[in-house]
Amino acid sequence: MASKVQEIIGAASAIAKGMSVTLGEMLSPTITEGYPDEPVRFEQRYRGLHVLERDENGLEKCVACFLCAAACPSNCIYIEAAENTAQQRISAGERYAAVYNIDYNRCIFCGYCVEACPTDAITHGHGFELASYDTASLVYRKERLLAPRP
Amino acid sequence: MPELVKLTIDGKEIEVPAGTLVINAARQVGIEIPAFCYYEGLALQAACRMCLVEVEKAPKLLTACTLPVAKDMIVRTETPQVAAARKGMLEFLLANHPLDCPVCDKGGECELQDMTFRYGAGESRFSEEKQHIEEQQWSPVVFFDRPRCILCFRCVRICNEGMGVAALGVINRGARSEIAPNKGDHLECDECGMCIDICPVGALTSGIYRYKTRPWEMEYAGTICTHCADGCKTTLSVRNGRVIRGNNRDHSGINGEFLCVKGRYAFDFLEHPERLHQPLVRRGVELQHASWKEAVALVAAKFNEVRERGGAFGVIGSARTTNEENFYLQKFARSWLNTNNIDHRRSGDVVALLDALAGLPGSLATTADVYHAGAVLIVGADLAQQHPLLSFQVRANVRHHGARVYVVHPHPQREDKVAAQVVRARGLAGIGQIREKLAGEQSLVVLFGEHIQGADVRRLVEMLPATARYVALVDYANSRGALDMGLLPDLLPGYQPAPAPGLSLQEMVGASLDVLWVVGANPLQGRARASGFLVVQELFLTETARQADVVFPAAAAYEKTGSFTNVCGEVQRLKKGPAVAGPKTDLEIMGLLARQMGHELAPPLPEAVFEEIRRSVAGYNIPYATFVTGAASATQYPNGPIARQGSSELIRSARDTLFTSGTLGRYCSVLNSVRERDLVRVEE
Repeated sequence: MASKVQEIIGAASAIAKGMSVTLGEMLSPTITEGYPDEPVRFEQRYRGLHVLERDENGLEKCVACFLCAAACPSNCIYIEAAENTAQQRISAGERYAAVYNIDYNRCIFCGYCVEACPTDAITHGHGFELASYDTASLVYRKERLLAPRP
Repeated sequence: MPELVKLTIDGKEIEVPAGTLVINAARQVGIEIPAFCYYEGLALQAACRMCLVEVEKAPKLLTACTLPVAKDMIVRTETPQVAAARKGMLEFLLANHPLDCPVCDKGGECELQDMTFRYGAGESRFSEEKQHIEEQQWSPVVFFDRPRCILCFRCVRICNEGMGVAALGVINRGARSEIAPNKGDHLECDECGMCIDICPVGALTSGIYRYKTRPWEMEYAGTICTHCADGCKTTLSVRNGRVIRGNNRDHSGINGEFLCVKGRYAFDFLEHPERLHQPLVRRGVELQHASWKEAVALVAAKFNEVRERGGAFGVIGSARTTNEENFYLQKFARSWLNTNNIDHRRSGDVVALLDALAGLPGSLATTADVYHAGAVLIVGADLAQQHPLLSFQVRANVRHHGARVYVVHPHPQREDKVAAQVVRARGLAGIGQIREKLAGEQSLVVLFGEHIQGADVRRLVEMLPATARYVALVDYANSRGALDMGLLPDLLPGYQPAPAPGLSLQEMVGASLDVLWVVGANPLQGRARASGFLVVQELFLTETARQADVVFPAAAAYEKTGSFTNVCGEVQRLKKGPAVAGPKTDLEIMGLLARQMGHELAPPLPEAVFEEIRRSVAGYNIPYATFVTGAASATQYPNGPIARQGSSELIRSARDTLFTSGTLGRYCSVLNSVRERDLVRVEE
């Protein structure tokens, strides 16, 4: 008889113990991403779509030194440089990138370009929605990569 | 042969001729001693102090670039003391050198970058702010950024010693020294850009390459300059099918690193807005665009019709098309159009020289001979303006070997400055005044221009010692090759006599021929056409092309493979730089015409035609390996009398200066933008 009672108590406590974990998890904050219904949250150092930064005056930081293109292992950065004039000042240095393309068909998001950049002009943003039916649309031009004016 | 001296560098024993500098002795055993100011061929400076080495029994470190080797000398280049000295020197050089490498055009090929990477410190200990001075533009092609300058004085020396221009100098002393141009705020010089290429840092940069790209982004094609006859190798840097710059940093070719303003900058005619890209056909009074098919069919039908009824053809070739094209053109004309009416614009009497040298083998000087000869005689040519490489070679010869230079010209020349004797007279009369002196010269190279031609050439050869070697100066990149390939009415390739001489260029432009075919020339400048049907192959709508019935757009020499023969008779290979859409090479155009006419000529491939030239043209049997590896091979001349038929005519040089280049020069915006263009002229 006693053993029967003990068995019932034991089973009940096991259930209670298990349910406490379940109930405890039910009340704790959720870690499942709600994407696409909710925006995605990123770690600070997530390497997403590149952003070409501007300085505090709204000028482009990029001086078209080509170091990102040199560092790129997948050869996906294409640059054409040009000279700033007094009438048309694009960057703070003497030269700027007249053309700056990143081919996202080829980019492997390694971050070497960001590491190589001497002016902190190129950074990784958190953009990631890159799927496309058309590979031609994956070559991003400078206008698409530039940060908005402050 | 100077005696050998034995010394030890870093434990390696080496024997070198007495007088060798330690820096060069070290190079021979594979030890690199870093230096900025030391430059082979220029005066010693010992300004940068980067080449300091430890020499046993010397109390202090010594500069390897000024130290001649001595018997049993023991040199150490990798001791902690030397490493500390190099690091210290670099720290000083970087004290005010701006770290704007990302912007600087020298980035990626900067000697200061490389040295700092190898020998320098990782960080600067200076906390003071660097002095900034605005960049200056000294000419359309030269920019100077003073803070970047490390005062190695290479530019000053190359401009003064190498070019003989002395447009750059040093002003002030010590820490206040700076490089300055000759006209206060700008330069008036040859605009050769030697100072830019020789600058180890980005202090002197090129206005043409300015902020365009980076060295590792470009492809390189070492080809031969399309302008004057000297045949300098220029390495075209090509990006996306566009020529970005020209230079010769690898010192290959007969010119080493030397290039003048034309070789370095005058390639922009390739992209001139007036460049022809489509064939033009005259419909009614106007020239209108047509397809290649239509234009080729039209010309082929006309050629066939005139050929069948035995009509008269006239063919005018070019001094800027390749040997292959010239050979093919004369073959086309002689074997298929059945005419000897073929000529080109002649600018030097090479034929008379080769005739006069019959029985004197080995009497043509090469470009290297101009540098090694014991004496150089310059007659009737402004060498510095018309033949910048030969002029450079003469100055280098005087500097390194103490050659004696004789100048015979009625007007002052740049070579007067280095000359042992100057004669202000014209041609043979002037040479007569120094005849005794020249008779004593055992190793004499004679460079003669248009002042000596016809019978005077033979008299010149008879006047001078039999050991003398000659160069008959001609104008354009393949002027010499056009003669060798038989673009002459009375001579076949290799100077063989033609069975029946045809009309010369002057006669052809005046004669009423049924067809006049002009390939890459502009003979109707300032005159109206007299022929029935005019076909022109050109890059631009020149005065001649404007009068044509059909114009084919031709590719430039930079867009071709093939070969050129320079003024000294050296054959060099052209390598295709940029690819061009629309125009075709002259060889391709001739091939299309031959096919359309139903005639089987050799395949219009440069390689195949060159093979035929090697087999059939006397003197062109040059080693194939030398040719394809891009080196120059001297051709042999017939070494027998050349039978000229018909009257010898007056030969005139176009007298181009450094800043003009015939028709092509008119379409080079760089040449037209330098202010010296209007200041210099070549005196008659």
